[in-house]
Amino acid sequence: MKLRGGYNVPLAGRPGADVEVLPDPDALHLPLAGRRLKFTEVRVRAGQAVRPGEILAVDPDRYRVPLLAPRAGTVTVTGKALILRDLSREQEEPYKGEELNHAAHAGTAEALRRKLVDLGAWQFVGDAFTGGLPDPAGVPQAVVVITMSFEPFTARGDVQMAKRLTSFTRGLEHIQGLLEYQPIYLAIPAVHSELAEKVRQTVQGYAYVKVVTIPRKYPFDHPALIARRLGLRSGGGSIWSLGVAGVLAVDRAMTASLPSTVRIVAVGGPGVSKPTHVKVCTGWPIRGIIDACGAAENVRVVMGGALTGQAWSPEDQPGLCSECTSLTVLRDEAPRTLLGWGRPGWSQQSFSPYYISKLRPSFTERLSTALRGERRACVSCQLCEKACPAGIWPHLIHKHLFQDNLEQAEALRLDLCVECGLCSYVCPSKIELLDQFRAAKKAIADMAAEEAEEMREKAEKEARE
Amino acid sequence: MKLLLGLMDRIRPTFQHGGLKAIRPAFDAIDAFLFYVDHRTDRAPHVRDPNNIKRYMSAVIVALMPIIAAAIYFFGWRLVGMIAVTYVTGLLIELGFAIARKEEINEGFFVTGLLYPLILPPGLPFWMTAVGIAFGVIVGKELFGGTGRNVLNPALVARCFLLIGHAPYMSTGWSAPAGGWPGGFGKWSVDAVSSATPLGAAKSGLYADWGNLLFGTASGNGVSGGSSGEVCSVLIILGGLFLLLTGVINWRTIVSLLGSFSIVVGVAAWASPGAFGRPGRTPVEMVAWQLLAGGLLFGAVFMATDPVTSPVSNLGKWIYGITIGVSTFLIRYLAGYVEGVMFAILLGNIAAPLYDEIATWLHLRRLQHEG
Repeated sequence: MKLRGGYNVPLAGRPGADVEVLPDPDALHLPLAGRRLKFTEVRVRAGQAVRPGEILAVDPDRYRVPLLAPRAGTVTVTGKALILRDLSREQEEPYKGEELNHAAHAGTAEALRRKLVDLGAWQFVGDAFTGGLPDPAGVPQAVVVITMSFEPFTARGDVQMAKRLTSFTRGLEHIQGLLEYQPIYLAIPAVHSELAEKVRQTVQGYAYVKVVTIPRKYPFDHPALIARRLGLRSGGGSIWSLGVAGVLAVDRAMTASLPSTVRIVAVGGPGVSKPTHVKVCTGWPIRGIIDACGAAENVRVVMGGALTGQAWSPEDQPGLCSECTSLTVLRDEAPRTLLGWGRPGWSQQSFSPYYISKLRPSFTERLSTALRGERRACVSCQLCEKACPAGIWPHLIHKHLFQDNLEQAEALRLDLCVECGLCSYVCPSKIELLDQFRAAKKAIADMAAEEAEEMREKAEKEARE
Repeated sequence: MKLLLGLMDRIRPTFQHGGLKAIRPAFDAIDAFLFYVDHRTDRAPHVRDPNNIKRYMSAVIVALMPIIAAAIYFFGWRLVGMIAVTYVTGLLIELGFAIARKEEINEGFFVTGLLYPLILPPGLPFWMTAVGIAFGVIVGKELFGGTGRNVLNPALVARCFLLIGHAPYMSTGWSAPAGGWPGGFGKWSVDAVSSATPLGAAKSGLYADWGNLLFGTASGNGVSGGSSGEVCSVLIILGGLFLLLTGVINWRTIVSLLGSFSIVVGVAAWASPGAFGRPGRTPVEMVAWQLLAGGLLFGAVFMATDPVTSPVSNLGKWIYGITIGVSTFLIRYLAGYVEGVMFAILLGNIAAPLYDEIATWLHLRRLQHEG
């Protein structure tokens, strides 16, 4: 597949390269549900004192991935979260290997993989195509390691890698140790920086690491697009994809047998005065993080990037979830300007070339949460098709979904959609394409699951007869 | 601005839940026209591009402005009257449908309402103008579900209806363009002397001069005129370039339409000069003359490129352009009609879904080994 589409949304407030360490808060609110993981099996009692790295809860449906205690403290259990109070920084509990603590298993591949899961490194791994958690016991057809992030604003890989290049390369070696002969693709942005050169030189010596250079355009850093570009197919087995934080977590688990509880979180957007990276941990009060970065009044905080993230609601989830790596802060306002649609747009950046800002050197815009137009019917302007990195036709899929024709949408390869959100971003009719596609994909998956269930029941029935 | 916003805020409740609730779509349309609506995103992506349908449509209106000014210069202020009649009739119908559907009024009509008077003879009676646009909006657009869901170009449906149903009005309203200064700017209308349009005169061997075709003037042998918007080719070309640069219209449609038309006209004139050529002129000159005469350029730039009624796929757009180009040639040369662009575009509109089927099939074949 050749790369096509894509667009760098000119959003002001890019986080700087420095990492700020925040003073510990009074309490940590560890949510029991994240975007992928649901920690339904709680392992601690209320009032129990825990040590750092101790398993507080696990997700029984996803390979028993744990929720780890980031600090020592006393647990309070609520319906949605575990609250950790009386925090103190103690030495982490050395890894004992709860699940497979038999001499026979120690050192085996199985034990090593279990260790990755138990020490919180596995949750950094995703399947390139589905985004779901791959089976830690399985062997992938390839591993894609992504060192950059182009969505505004997600944690930058270079920030995490800069000081820990040795750990990073050692982490790659550990990953290689889990594989048989499968390649590790290392995606590096097409930039000429000192760090990129250093990484290229370092990995030159590794025969199993293949460098893939990625143009600096959102969302070419998406694992599914990289996998497609490499000619990998989803039918050929899972493809592990992980970022810099994931590789560092693997190294920490394998080299030092220590859990990964520290998170480098990017805080950016026009709603904060000091966009930066902060060093925090799961459960950290989000309010405290954005206040430390100088958040304005009346802002919307997005957990994740501005295009694909989820709006934060302080009541539902006061603390950072274990999968959240960035916070984008936007001014929550939609100013009413006189004859705004007729303005030439000197200060408005657009994907389509109407605006005279095209004559200006590139600049970032102070985008707010304004919809900037009204919802209308699709006029087939094809802007979504031009922006789409997956090479599908969002406008046509939308038309079929508008008629509730799921089969036709599926036939038009809705499955190739990487949910980057660019189609919704550029749509002049302000159609919620991303939302529709997510819902349709879910409906198709549910239908397939239902069908599989029926088939299984039928087969069972036949077997009985 | 604050004053106006304050006034709108004061009268808003009257339309939202007060006595004038029935015509709320009209208020909302004016409110949104004056000030951006204060809608905010409620899900990902949380930020949006400044482009919107009003903006998209206004680019077409900007491209039409010089053409309208030229049309007034040539045919008098009566054109403004025709635009007003079109807007009032069309918007009342739109408002009726918006109220019945409980939807907002769409911007699309602002473009249709400008395009339609420009493709009519300058002397067409006002009542005829109103009847035509009423048919065009109701049958051509609203019965299919409104803007974005129509199959045929509503302005062309209206014109087609008038041409077939009321042919005498559509062939006698031609006027010779005014000249000098202030030209039509000083008049309400120019005399309808039922002079033949360049294409009509060409059927009897009288060819309009280049200057007349390019600028719309009636100098030289005096053959000029036509529908209000089609006479000044230079401004249409400039408008087309503007729309191409701003990405509002798709270059594939224009290139394939004008390209295929040029090729068939040129080949026909070269192969059979007696039937398709012009004595003493080369095939290339014939092609250039045919491109500039009549409504071809206007139709290619403003009508055939309508994204809603043209195919949605790029390959479809190529075939669609070729269909229109070749059909225009066939109708102009081989049928009883003087001009063929309108029928050709409507034919292309009808065939568009078929072309999309073909293009989609090929598109999916390319994708079948992906992912």
